[in-house]
Amino acid sequence: MKKMKKIFVSALTAAMFMVSGCEAPDQEIFDEIPRATGLATTDPTALAAFAAGAYKPLIGTWGAHNSLWSMHEVSSDEMVIAIKGGDWTDGNQWTRMHEHGYLPTEESIGNAWSYCFSAIGTINNTLKSFGGSQLLRAELETLRAMVYLWLIDAYGNVPIITELSTDPTPATKTRAEVYAFIESSVVNSLPLLPKQKTYTTVNWYVAQTILAKLYLNADVYTGTAQWQKAADASKAVIDGGVYSLESDYFANFKTENAGSVENIFVINYDQVNGQGFNLAQMTLHYSSQATFNLAEQPWNGYASLEDFYNSYDNADKRKNSFLAGPQFSSTGVRLKDASFESADPDGENLTFTPFISAIKPKPGNTFGSLRQQGVRVGKFQFQTGATPNLNNDFPIFRYADVLLMRAEALWRLSSGSAEALSLVNQIRSRAGVPALGALTADDLLAERGREMFAEGYRRSDLIRFGKYNNAWWEKPTSVASKNIFPIPQGQILVNTKLVQNPGY
Amino acid sequence: MTKVYLIARRMFTVFLVLTAFLAQGQERTLTGKVTSSDDGSAIPGVNILEKGTTNGTVSDTDGNFTISVGSNAVLVFSFVGYASQEVTVGTQTSLDVKLQSDITSLSEVVVVGYGTQQKKEITSAVSSVSAEQFNKGNVTSPTQFLSGKVAGLSVVRPGGDPNQGFTLRLRGISTFGANSQPLIVIDGIVGASLDNVDPNDVASMDVLKDASAAAIYGARGSSGVILITTKTGKVKKEGYVNVNYNGFVGIDEVANKLTVLSADEFVARGGTDYRTAGAQGTNWFNALTQTGVSHTNNLSVEGGSGTTSYRASVNYRKTEGIVKGVDNDRLNTSLSINNTSLNGKLRLSLGLTYNDRNQNSINLSAFRYAVIYNPTAPIFEGAADNRDGGYFQRDLFDFYNPVALSKQQKFGGERKNLLSNFRVEYDIIEDLTVALNYSINEETGLNGSFWSRRDRVTGFGAQGQARRDTYNNTSKLLELTTKYTKKFGDLNFEGLVGFANQITDSEGFAVQTKQFLYDVNGWDGIDFGSQRQGSGTEASSYKNANTLRSVFGRANLNYKGTYFLSATVRSDSYSGFGRGNKTGYFPAISGGVEVTKLVDLGVVSQLKVRGSYGVSGNLPPAADLALATFAPGGIIDFDGNTLTTSDQYVTLRQTRDANPSLKWETKTEVNVGVDYGLFDGRITGSIEYYTRTNKDLLFGVNLPAGAPNPFDPTEPANVANFAWANIGTIASGGFEFSATYNNVKLGGISWSPSLNFTIYQKAKIESFKVGDLGPGELRLATPGSPGQNANPMIRNKVGETVGNMYGPVFQGLNENGGYVFDSTDPTKWGVIGNGLPNGELGFSNSFSYKNWDLSFVLRGVFGHTLYNSYRGFYENRDAGSRTWNSVTTSKTPFVTSVPEFSSLYIEDASFLRLDNASIGYNLPLKGNSFSNIRFYATGQNLFTITNYTGIDPEVRYSDTDNGDGFQTNLAPGIERRNTYFTTRTYTLGVSLKIK
Repeated sequence: MKKMKKIFVSALTAAMFMVSGCEAPDQEIFDEIPRATGLATTDPTALAAFAAGAYKPLIGTWGAHNSLWSMHEVSSDEMVIAIKGGDWTDGNQWTRMHEHGYLPTEESIGNAWSYCFSAIGTINNTLKSFGGSQLLRAELETLRAMVYLWLIDAYGNVPIITELSTDPTPATKTRAEVYAFIESSVVNSLPLLPKQKTYTTVNWYVAQTILAKLYLNADVYTGTAQWQKAADASKAVIDGGVYSLESDYFANFKTENAGSVENIFVINYDQVNGQGFNLAQMTLHYSSQATFNLAEQPWNGYASLEDFYNSYDNADKRKNSFLAGPQFSSTGVRLKDASFESADPDGENLTFTPFISAIKPKPGNTFGSLRQQGVRVGKFQFQTGATPNLNNDFPIFRYADVLLMRAEALWRLSSGSAEALSLVNQIRSRAGVPALGALTADDLLAERGREMFAEGYRRSDLIRFGKYNNAWWEKPTSVASKNIFPIPQGQILVNTKLVQNPGY
Repeated sequence: MTKVYLIARRMFTVFLVLTAFLAQGQERTLTGKVTSSDDGSAIPGVNILEKGTTNGTVSDTDGNFTISVGSNAVLVFSFVGYASQEVTVGTQTSLDVKLQSDITSLSEVVVVGYGTQQKKEITSAVSSVSAEQFNKGNVTSPTQFLSGKVAGLSVVRPGGDPNQGFTLRLRGISTFGANSQPLIVIDGIVGASLDNVDPNDVASMDVLKDASAAAIYGARGSSGVILITTKTGKVKKEGYVNVNYNGFVGIDEVANKLTVLSADEFVARGGTDYRTAGAQGTNWFNALTQTGVSHTNNLSVEGGSGTTSYRASVNYRKTEGIVKGVDNDRLNTSLSINNTSLNGKLRLSLGLTYNDRNQNSINLSAFRYAVIYNPTAPIFEGAADNRDGGYFQRDLFDFYNPVALSKQQKFGGERKNLLSNFRVEYDIIEDLTVALNYSINEETGLNGSFWSRRDRVTGFGAQGQARRDTYNNTSKLLELTTKYTKKFGDLNFEGLVGFANQITDSEGFAVQTKQFLYDVNGWDGIDFGSQRQGSGTEASSYKNANTLRSVFGRANLNYKGTYFLSATVRSDSYSGFGRGNKTGYFPAISGGVEVTKLVDLGVVSQLKVRGSYGVSGNLPPAADLALATFAPGGIIDFDGNTLTTSDQYVTLRQTRDANPSLKWETKTEVNVGVDYGLFDGRITGSIEYYTRTNKDLLFGVNLPAGAPNPFDPTEPANVANFAWANIGTIASGGFEFSATYNNVKLGGISWSPSLNFTIYQKAKIESFKVGDLGPGELRLATPGSPGQNANPMIRNKVGETVGNMYGPVFQGLNENGGYVFDSTDPTKWGVIGNGLPNGELGFSNSFSYKNWDLSFVLRGVFGHTLYNSYRGFYENRDAGSRTWNSVTTSKTPFVTSVPEFSSLYIEDASFLRLDNASIGYNLPLKGNSFSNIRFYATGQNLFTITNYTGIDPEVRYSDTDNGDGFQTNLAPGIERRNTYFTTRTYTLGVSLKIK
């Protein structure tokens, strides 16, 4: 018995030894780069690539369907995604967006939040690993402030996350706190930023434009207007003399727009190296594939509103920002849509009409919008043979916008400002429309609308001019709580310290 | 003292062997007949072996046998379904033996992990299926044998795509995002591919159903385990050779064609009419489909001599689908050699299987377009070399000629699989055996994809596109086990300890180019494509490797054949677990009592009551999920000028956020069961009840965007905003019943019915969150484009069954023909369906009459619903009617508004199906060269009784079309529009046995 016990004990000991000695080795990585190895580099090119990599997430979903751009455009009076037969119903999310009935569960609202905060996470990780250089630090903190500018405008109250944060569930900060964070980030960085022209990276002028945007909307964001500061920041850009208006408005939006002297900061899209600008797919009719010999069939989604289209004078060169009227193939053949609705007045022929029957099916209208209805976004050049990922860089900040911002700030300070009038007329002159003799709020808003169409600023402009809650085509009046979007439901589920915006 | 004993023992053994040898010298011939004690009928094929020797024979079709034996020979007669019988020959020259049917198969041996066990001793839930019980017909995968045969095991392949594998679920869903298929173990090789074994080479299959039985497989056992035992050679007598041939031809036809509008009906409803004068339009079903012809040939040779036995087989299968362009052919060869030496103490075995499989397939959306394409359109239009390759096409949204699509996109591949297994067993002393097992499973594949420049869907925009990819997967397994068996008085003890190391390695690369001038070369001339960067192109490679290191042990106790106890434990250490959780432990215990040994229960001849408790696990779906690494993050062009390339580099991007605490899933399961036999084993069966909890379920979860890492703040901030984590718990249970009545005599007909059924207590979500992590509720699976992209049909909520479908309840039509719903507010919707079944039933029958035999299997699944997506998109008379044809069913209500998801399209999909029926005739043979010739005919999927109006009422356990591959287990019950049509198969075959 004693022997048995001894055998048992030694067997047990042997087993224990075997078990403890049998831990699997650490996981090896073969086809990716372990974090420590990646960060250990001293190669200057690799370090530069890390810095440039911090901009890479911005390419993300900005120019894609169902994210930030879609929210800004469809909630405004310049764009709509109407339901066309069975197409684009998609749970009615786009009709809700246009009617200001958006919910915390909308996909676009969740996508946009993730897009912005992924960029912030990447910037913070880069700062944490390579923040030793003061120049790089200034550049990236300014870039982060730009992303926060998008967040403060869309969501208002958001958490502030920096490279020093440790709380995995960061709490909501008020819009005023976010405002202060953006302002201080940019102001502190300004002295270090380069003053020469850059294109896809942050420089001193980009920083000033961020400030101009922030101050112009200060009244909306904080309740305290900062018109003088907005005018000053805009002036700093103008006085720099680095940027000027392109004589051809559309030069800023063409396929190879990298040479634009007007674009201050762009998202660097490329069909190979920077994929994600899908406007041709998003707006064009299925049959328009033949107009541009596109690689893939478009989706027949986004169109402009008739009233907005009509806000352009016929002489206005910018009216070519729309594709309207009869449509033809690249070889000049009239395009047809064999699936036309019986209500279509010209039958099979494809004609983009400004008039849209309705945003969605209603009693007596089973289809909503006809498939061909609505003028389409033609402001960005669609290259013949384009893939779904366009090459055009997307301007985030443009010199014309800076001129109009200074004009507006000066007008707010004094409605009779001669400089304001002359700045607006500078823009009108390029567009080929007569100069104005005086400026009203409606003039300013309308001019901004025509100039900045499809660049993602219409919603902010409407809010600042107090028009966002008005009724317009297929949109009832809305309440002021709709002036900021809800915090995405998906984010509140994983971070209980986020506070939902009032009214949602 | 012990030493002396051992030497004495050895000498005694040598003496015995010598005696036997000498005894063999005095040979004489013995003849006789084997009959059944039930009805006196002859039993052919009985194995007759002289005990202690390799001398043996088999009874012929009339039950007669002839054997040369020594004077003191003891003959062992054995045959499946009958009790083995030993007869001392004495001086007789003729011998008639009556075998008692032994249905309880008390001596039946069941394969359990790392060994075998007598069925009567088993105290956990294990089901065995032997070759005689296998499903008949054109069976292409071993698991198909088990469909409808094992209570609680579902083997499904919705639609009839011959290139698609079978989906297996044991006792329902067991995980959210990890592996949900049972672990496959072939001849002891854990995780071997089902490709490695041709169905014809399978001897038996055993299913480990509860966590107690599967715990010996530790962190891979929680979805159950299927053990496949292949056929091996036996030395039945000196120089024995047995040749078997089995061959059949089969035809496949479409079993269920959906009804669509005819060309005239389509036009009358407002559809565009493309018919020119005299044209008829096209029946797109007929244009796309064909009658597929298949044939299969299997040849095997087994035999042995002295101490060595072998079996070699070659199997060739060629299968044609019901669509031109879908086919495969497979060659599978296997060889096994067994050798014993040192007086049987050293046993070597070598197994080699090689599999080569070629397959071709098409873009499955061709099935969708065959349903909805305009029936007035012709197949061809214009010159064969025009833009569309001579096919009719129009510039319309989602409108592609299905015949063109099936021809202009091609997907092919060849994979080769080599499995080598080497095993040595040595009896150190009589009771102690050590075994070393080493196996290498190597699979390589080479695939090609091709999109013609005439192909409207993809190829035209790309001007032709071609892809080549190749991969190599290797798994190396080393196992060392020690088994100790000892009898202590009335107590039998069996102990096992083992160590295993398994290294899995997978690597591969892919190249894709586009923009071709010619369609000639396809993927064989990929360098004719001019564009090698950007959309539609690819150059990539990958490699992953991981290590699983395990220690395991088991103890079985059997006291007087009455009380049984079994305990196992396994530790699994996996390189892919997070650094904080390197090793998991999986214990189990089970026990049982054979009541009939304690009390006389009259007609009850067996009543084993048993209970078990066990823990098993599930690995993360990939080995690198715990780590944050840098993946290629796209090209950075420093000067922004794409023309200068010397300044372009690939940046690094964090594509996954780290979870250093990632670990295994854990299943705990309690199983109580009864194995019973009635009327001396004429009726046998089992009853099981189980309840189980799967916790720490693995799932990809969203993290707070951009925030510090929630698992470890020193890790980089969230960028992907996504990590794999152990976040969920589900609870489920079930009741299983099986009964077999052996050899009911109906005049000259013998009938063996076997029934099994399961009632599921469906998996309920108990938690979907850990701390702040986890969605709490997950909505997913939208119907899709057009127009139904943003309305998830399924909501997985805590406290509810996995996969509940939510939507408005259809209440009728308004005066305009539009829908009337109970509510259009998504927050007010209730549950309108669930795709998981409430119960399943299998009813197998075999009849024999003289030389004829007949068998059929009915299988039923009950209580699940399916979303019928063809109805959900294409039955309304709406604006889309001009473009797309409509399905019409008994449930079509003629809605005029645009399609919207509601209860209208959720259908009860309960069904009862005649899975297979087979009739065979055994040719009476007098000669000696053929021992058996059998002709047979089989039909598969002969009829289905169901109210479901879609393509196939079969359960959809997973959904492949919701964009998030890993979420598929949480979206059951959706029949997508790309479903391959169901097929009906008829086969005609012959099998020969030559001795």
